[in-house]
Amino acid sequence: MDALVSQLETPRSQQELYNSEEEQEQLALSLSPSLKFALPPIAQSQAWLRAMTDDYSNPNCPIKIAHGTTTLAFRFQGGIIVCTDSRATAGNWIASQTVKKVIEINSSLLGTMAGGAADCQYWLAYLGMQCRLHELRSKRRITVAAASKILANLVYSYKGMGLSMGTMCAGVTPQEGPALYYIDSDGTRLAGNLFCVGSGQTFAYGVLDAEYRYDLTDEEALELGRRSILAAMHRDAYSGGFINLYHVKESGWVKHGFNDMNPIFWKTKLGKGEFSNVTADLN
Amino acid sequence: MAGMFAGPQEMMGYSFNTAPTSASEPRQHSFYPYTDNGGSTLGISGADFTIMAGDTRSTSGYSINSRHVPKLFLIGGEGPKNKGARIVLSVVGFAADGDALKEKLDKEVKMYKYQHGKPMTVSACAQRLSHILYNKRFFPYYVHAILGGIDEEGKGALYSYDPVGSYEREQCRAAGAASSLIMPFLDNQVNFKNHHIPGSGEGHDLKPVVATPLPKETVIELVRDAFTSAVERHIEVGDGLQMMILTKDGVEEQLLPLKKD
Amino acid sequence: MNHFPQAWGRPRDDIYGHYNSSYLQTANPTQHTQSPVVTGTSVVAIKYKDGVVIAADNLASYGSLARFTDVKRLRKFNSSTVLGFGGDVSDMQYLDRLLNDLDVKENYSHADDEASQLSANNLHTYLSKVMYKRRTDFNPLWNHILVAGISSESEPFLASVDLLGTTFSSPSLATGYGAHLAQPIMRKLVPDEEAVKGISKEQAVDVVKECMKVLFYRDARSMDGYSIAVISKEGIEIKENEKLENQSWQFAERIRGYGTQVN
Repeated sequence: MDALVSQLETPRSQQELYNSEEEQEQLALSLSPSLKFALPPIAQSQAWLRAMTDDYSNPNCPIKIAHGTTTLAFRFQGGIIVCTDSRATAGNWIASQTVKKVIEINSSLLGTMAGGAADCQYWLAYLGMQCRLHELRSKRRITVAAASKILANLVYSYKGMGLSMGTMCAGVTPQEGPALYYIDSDGTRLAGNLFCVGSGQTFAYGVLDAEYRYDLTDEEALELGRRSILAAMHRDAYSGGFINLYHVKESGWVKHGFNDMNPIFWKTKLGKGEFSNVTADLN
Repeated sequence: MAGMFAGPQEMMGYSFNTAPTSASEPRQHSFYPYTDNGGSTLGISGADFTIMAGDTRSTSGYSINSRHVPKLFLIGGEGPKNKGARIVLSVVGFAADGDALKEKLDKEVKMYKYQHGKPMTVSACAQRLSHILYNKRFFPYYVHAILGGIDEEGKGALYSYDPVGSYEREQCRAAGAASSLIMPFLDNQVNFKNHHIPGSGEGHDLKPVVATPLPKETVIELVRDAFTSAVERHIEVGDGLQMMILTKDGVEEQLLPLKKD
Repeated sequence: MNHFPQAWGRPRDDIYGHYNSSYLQTANPTQHTQSPVVTGTSVVAIKYKDGVVIAADNLASYGSLARFTDVKRLRKFNSSTVLGFGGDVSDMQYLDRLLNDLDVKENYSHADDEASQLSANNLHTYLSKVMYKRRTDFNPLWNHILVAGISSESEPFLASVDLLGTTFSSPSLATGYGAHLAQPIMRKLVPDEEAVKGISKEQAVDVVKECMKVLFYRDARSMDGYSIAVISKEGIEIKENEKLENQSWQFAERIRGYGTQVN
């Protein structure tokens, strides 16, 4: 009844559009990455969002979100190797071949990106902010365990809303040494020596598990990372483009190039005799 | 994870046929808030310029709403005509979402200038646009946005976005209805994909051509070729070509006719 | 999140339930909660050198029933604008009340000041915001509106807004069936803005009357009584009880192939 009275009391022109409170709220929202999101005004917003965006269940869904695919990271005696492909797909369309799927959170922490490209970019940027705030508050760099837990708690609070991300946090800190965590949008958070994430994960695991030892030399480790991603790019249609390779050491991370997979593939095949399933005959 | 091992009937995850399709749960019937107004846009950045372009047709279904609805917008200039703006946003998809997005970004770039006393850089604007899009992660804007400008070093800057805000700086990007027709052409002509230097080797030893920034005149020609060709093969593209050429001196706008069939 | 390679990163059924495609638009519009009940059909409008001509018939249908035959779907707003409403009639009446409130408020804030009155383009912007906000709230005003009038720059102005908040402007516009049947006739006369400068008021009125006739021939939800308005700098001339003239149904006997008649 009160609602009805107030509806009749306020002029119609004030009921339409946004009131001043809503306007203030919108202005405040835009100032920094925040945790408030617009929701469709219906009861089952998750089902609605899925109907609009799930390109697997419905290849004709109207909104196709860019997805990223094969990423890997492993711990060894010389630190951590992080390696990814660079393809983003929206349905069957290759949206980009030049995506940077290794996100530099700060000079000693790396995040990787698989799943929704926007989800990973936004939340890893947000994580970067939180890590810097932690540094300012406690006068020391955040541990990988703590950083990964911020992210895991965060995505867990959005569980069921439709986020899609499979990410790894890799870093070397004085407290932990080289540390590697896997976090996904279900809220899973795992510490481990070796992870492959994304639609090409199985192909990468195949190579990585066969050749992996903790006491690899730096060169061997870099080559193994590259070779594992190459296998996934070759066999997984949703992976491809460039090989993005990083080595995380005590002194921080070092980038080892963003290289086109095609010449690397042919060098691997012709030089080492691998990929014998592919013919090299040009005729 | 428990559900992954729910039983043999749900274990066929490796087949393309297992995409679930049934709709059995009760649900609130609701209104479909999107439509597609067609059209296509593209952007190419060069050494000291960026060119943005879009056709001006607006469609709904097979009908043409209007032959002149611009898809390119000046962001953050003075007054209602955005005089002196140095950033251009192009949006294609659902035009009403596009307009809402344009106005939101424009407002924020203007607020930034008001609060900081200096114009926003393109890179800052690009990140802000990403956040605006991601703010509607759960009720997305149905648009593909491209943002163009000149960066702090005077180089052409171009950023492309997906509907929920993942973004990347690129040399060239086509979006919208005819993106699948235009993008491969740009890969070949701007980034020289699959071009090899003749005589540089035999078979696998052929050296690829390294992409170098193109001169402005060449890029304008490429844009025109891209659109005249897209018009021939896509029903939602045509009528007019709106082009904005961004240099250190500002933005020059051109309007060229396209086929109206 | 699904971890199987083909579906990697997509929602998993055991968490999200089955994919429900019924949220997507299908050909059948009756699935909407809020759907139009009493409706008006096409509105047509065309610019000429000094102004705009707009017309709509006076019928409000209840499904296939021609329920109300004297509903005026052209509404005047101050002295420079006429709105033509297609779609739901109750939402039209709500919008009319909303715009009356707005007009009253505007008159209080600057009475007698002609220059600061809301002109057609201002009103179109306001309406587009109202419509877009409503669609974002999933509570649309089920109308397709043409705004015809004189802009702040004293130029003829014609633009449209629909229930999704989509806006566009063109030398000639038509909603509903008119977009298919009337637009081609009007576009022959004014293919572009340049052509508008060569069109007289009489030519514009004639083509609009012709369009109303063609619509009556083929649109089953239309009527032969209509309203027509001419908006120019001199003001608004609005006639609300016009009848279609010179109808010729001779073409009808040549039509073959409906129902049981096959050739």
